[in-house]
Amino acid sequence: MSDQTNVKLRLSNSELWGGLIGFALGGFVIWSGMKLKLGTINDPGSGYLLFYTGILMCVFAGAIIVSAVTEGAPTLASRWENVRWSKPLLLIACLVAFSIALEPLGFLLSSIPLVLLLLRLIDPVRWTLAIPIAVLVPSGMWWVLKRLLLIQLPSGLFGIG
Amino acid sequence: MDTLVNVAHGFGVALLPVNLLYCFIGVFIGTLVGVLPGIGPISAMSLLLPVTLSGTPESGIIMMAGIYYGSMYGGSTTSILVNIPGEAASVVTCIDGHQMAKQGRAGPALGISAFGSFIAGTFALIALMLVAPKLASVAIAFGPAEYFSLMVLGLVVLTFLTQGSMPKALLMACIGVVLGLIGLDSITAQPRLTFGRMELIDGIGLVPVVMGLFGVAEVLLNTEQAIKRDIINTKITHLLPTREDWKASAGPVGRGTILGFFLGILPGGGAVVASFASYALEKRLSKTPGRLGHGAIEGVAGPESANNAAAGGAFIPLMTLGIPPNVVMALLLGAFVIHGLQPGPLLITQNPGLFWGIVASMYIGNVMLLILNLPMIGMWVQLLKLPYNILFPLIILFTILGVYCSSNNVFDVYVMIAFGIIGYFMRKLGYEPAALVLAFVLGPMMENNLRKSLILSQGDLWTFVQRPISGVCLVFALVLLIAPLLPSLRKKRELVALDEGA
Repeated sequence: MSDQTNVKLRLSNSELWGGLIGFALGGFVIWSGMKLKLGTINDPGSGYLLFYTGILMCVFAGAIIVSAVTEGAPTLASRWENVRWSKPLLLIACLVAFSIALEPLGFLLSSIPLVLLLLRLIDPVRWTLAIPIAVLVPSGMWWVLKRLLLIQLPSGLFGIG
Repeated sequence: MDTLVNVAHGFGVALLPVNLLYCFIGVFIGTLVGVLPGIGPISAMSLLLPVTLSGTPESGIIMMAGIYYGSMYGGSTTSILVNIPGEAASVVTCIDGHQMAKQGRAGPALGISAFGSFIAGTFALIALMLVAPKLASVAIAFGPAEYFSLMVLGLVVLTFLTQGSMPKALLMACIGVVLGLIGLDSITAQPRLTFGRMELIDGIGLVPVVMGLFGVAEVLLNTEQAIKRDIINTKITHLLPTREDWKASAGPVGRGTILGFFLGILPGGGAVVASFASYALEKRLSKTPGRLGHGAIEGVAGPESANNAAAGGAFIPLMTLGIPPNVVMALLLGAFVIHGLQPGPLLITQNPGLFWGIVASMYIGNVMLLILNLPMIGMWVQLLKLPYNILFPLIILFTILGVYCSSNNVFDVYVMIAFGIIGYFMRKLGYEPAALVLAFVLGPMMENNLRKSLILSQGDLWTFVQRPISGVCLVFALVLLIAPLLPSLRKKRELVALDEGA
């Protein structure tokens, strides 16, 4: 690993960020455990295991932070070096858009554009193949689920699907 | 004699036409996901978990089990022909298997892989038939302290064997426990970490979590790099290994089978660990270790036998103790729970048809796999040519539908997408999700047993140490927790640490 990708006490240290997020989560779990009541050791309450798990999380996150600072760790940018980082980002954007559209548009109207976008945006498939796949596969799945298995799929505001 | 009667009863159940059909579907899908890089048995089983609802418990579980051991067979095909492991347990097979294929010996490599898998699978089943009822009768004496300690041991072993630093794996396990505790407290019925959302009252579902962390996250990772496939184009002939091949493979198959079976039983172990351990063993025992890595048939026979034996052995802790030793078994536990069944010491006596039916179906499934993987190898080779850019949108669509159908709830689709994104970033930062998923399943059971044992012992923590089985488990877990602190042991751990994710 080069000096540029292995850093110690720097904000770009990826392990440091991982540890800090773990530590914050641990703190939240401890607080939630206390809020739920710990009970006694004879009769543990709802927050008992949460509280102690939170403490363990903070301990392990602390170990990650110490190791990140003393031994150094790759930078955040180096984790995405030499990869097509924009492709997963596009896929995530498509999935988020799909999850927003699913309830108002229904299964069919949201899944056909999703499949088409995925076929065209990541490693583009030619239109003559992408369109039939994007239309036929979701429609076929919808037909099997709705008509054969009688599973109610979200039909959205337009009642399609 | 009792065992024979039970086995006959099991075959009676497994040979019912509907169960034969589900068994075939399971092993077929298992081979398919094993062959296709980018989808593992975990993704496929989580995808099909909702389908188990439509049939009897026997049918559903027979199908799920078929996917697991079927993927062990299929994974080797991709490793040998394309040099890309179809699933994690076939990573080692790439080393010598693909070299054999390059030397024009793809046929014997595929042949010994299928025969070795069949022999190991058969041995594991016979051992399962003999060991499981005996262990179940011992397990009846297990109290909550023993169960709690066994689960702690399982989690620690898994974190010990997971790739990357141990604090990261332990942090993942803790997050898994916390996620598992979301929803109503099983003792006081108090809502925990629900943030006022009705959808979280019953907790987060296993299916969206697993499909997000393994299915969606895997696709996100795969899209970062164009998957290049170097498929061996020569016609595959001579699938039957020669006498020399058999002579060289007999020892590795035998050793791999026994080693794999015992590693499969251990909590936290599994097919991946077994295949790596078998390869290391063969390299150590070989008179000419330099041959391994350059197309030695022992390097295919040993690991392939070991991963199949481990797949059979892993059923023992689930069926007899109700504790899943790895993520795949955790999914199988999910299938049991969906049908209102609790695997454990009483399963064999209360549901003999189910237990023996599953065991017998696994034998039938192994025979089906031998037929599917040898005479029909050409079909799987054709399938390898399906481009990933067409495959992955369909995987995404199937995961969405699978999650939705498991609960008829759009909220679960959101949960899956969220866990998919979280899983992607976790993997990029070196946090493996296997420990999280196992802890997610074990978390509620661990809490229940911890609280029960504390109530029963009136708050005496020594109860966990004084009870022999519990004490041994905790001591072993402690040793594994301390081990990475010693530099020599840390190096050894790094050598065996595995990526369970694929």
